[in-house]
Amino acid sequence: MNKKKAQTALMIAAAAIFAAAAAVSVYQLRRTKPNTVKIISDGKVLYTLDLSRESDREIIVEYEGRRNVIVIENHDIYVREADCPDHTCIKMGKLSQSSTQIVCLPNKLMIRRAYSSEESGTDGTA
Amino acid sequence: MAQRKRESGGSASELTRLSLLTAMALIIFIVEQQVPFPLPIPGAKLGLANIITVYAVNRCRSGGVLLLVLARIFLGSLFGGAFLSPAMIFSLAGGLLCLAGMLPLRKILDEKHIWLGSIFGAVLHNTGQIIAAVFVMKTAAVIGYYPFLLVIGCIAGAFTGLTAQIIINRLK
Repeated sequence: MNKKKAQTALMIAAAAIFAAAAAVSVYQLRRTKPNTVKIISDGKVLYTLDLSRESDREIIVEYEGRRNVIVIENHDIYVREADCPDHTCIKMGKLSQSSTQIVCLPNKLMIRRAYSSEESGTDGTA
Repeated sequence: MAQRKRESGGSASELTRLSLLTAMALIIFIVEQQVPFPLPIPGAKLGLANIITVYAVNRCRSGGVLLLVLARIFLGSLFGGAFLSPAMIFSLAGGLLCLAGMLPLRKILDEKHIWLGSIFGAVLHNTGQIIAAVFVMKTAAVIGYYPFLLVIGCIAGAFTGLTAQIIINRLK
């Protein structure tokens, strides 16, 4: 029956989507991580930092009156304070332990590694 | 055609039914919010309230399902303190794209493959979420989360879909 064929096709499609997503996830987790980190607020790059050369300090980023306190410590970076309700960015912990990037959706803040393949030569230095 | 029974009674009985389903979905949604999700991926969760969505997709008219999902998202974000926030826009985009896929799929899938429709619903929900996030965050970098969301979405979608399938077949 036609319906049965469609169901089998859908099942194969679902399996393919799952396998592809899992493969890309594993690939992303295994990719070597560069030391250069970008702090992006509302689409704008505020800081580009080379973590291997940064000394310990705090950076406060404000967005529409709400703030995130970002801490650089032992060549690692994490968010210590945020006045959003979910605190996901704090729970994501240190960037070295995070899979890809630290994101605070309510305050439109992103801390991510700058892979050389993408958007090199962005302005903004520490 | 082995069409599943769908509610086509008077508007009052349908309205009552939809309200009840909305209430159940909201309770599940709020309870789930209290349980922290172990993986630090923004936007990722089990989406247990979608058990109700999958049930409604298979048992209610398309317009009714749309109303149910919209009410769930608006009231849910109002209760959760995320009203009109980016998070609400993401779930709105995800929810609508999810319905756009699941409503046509219910004609193809029989009562033993409801879980399959739910997986596609989850995948489409993730797709809508990410597309909305690209526009709200004004960066394509959030696409990096897409594969992670898809893996969790497929598993969670299969789980919620299977739960809904068991409920639908028991309540026949």
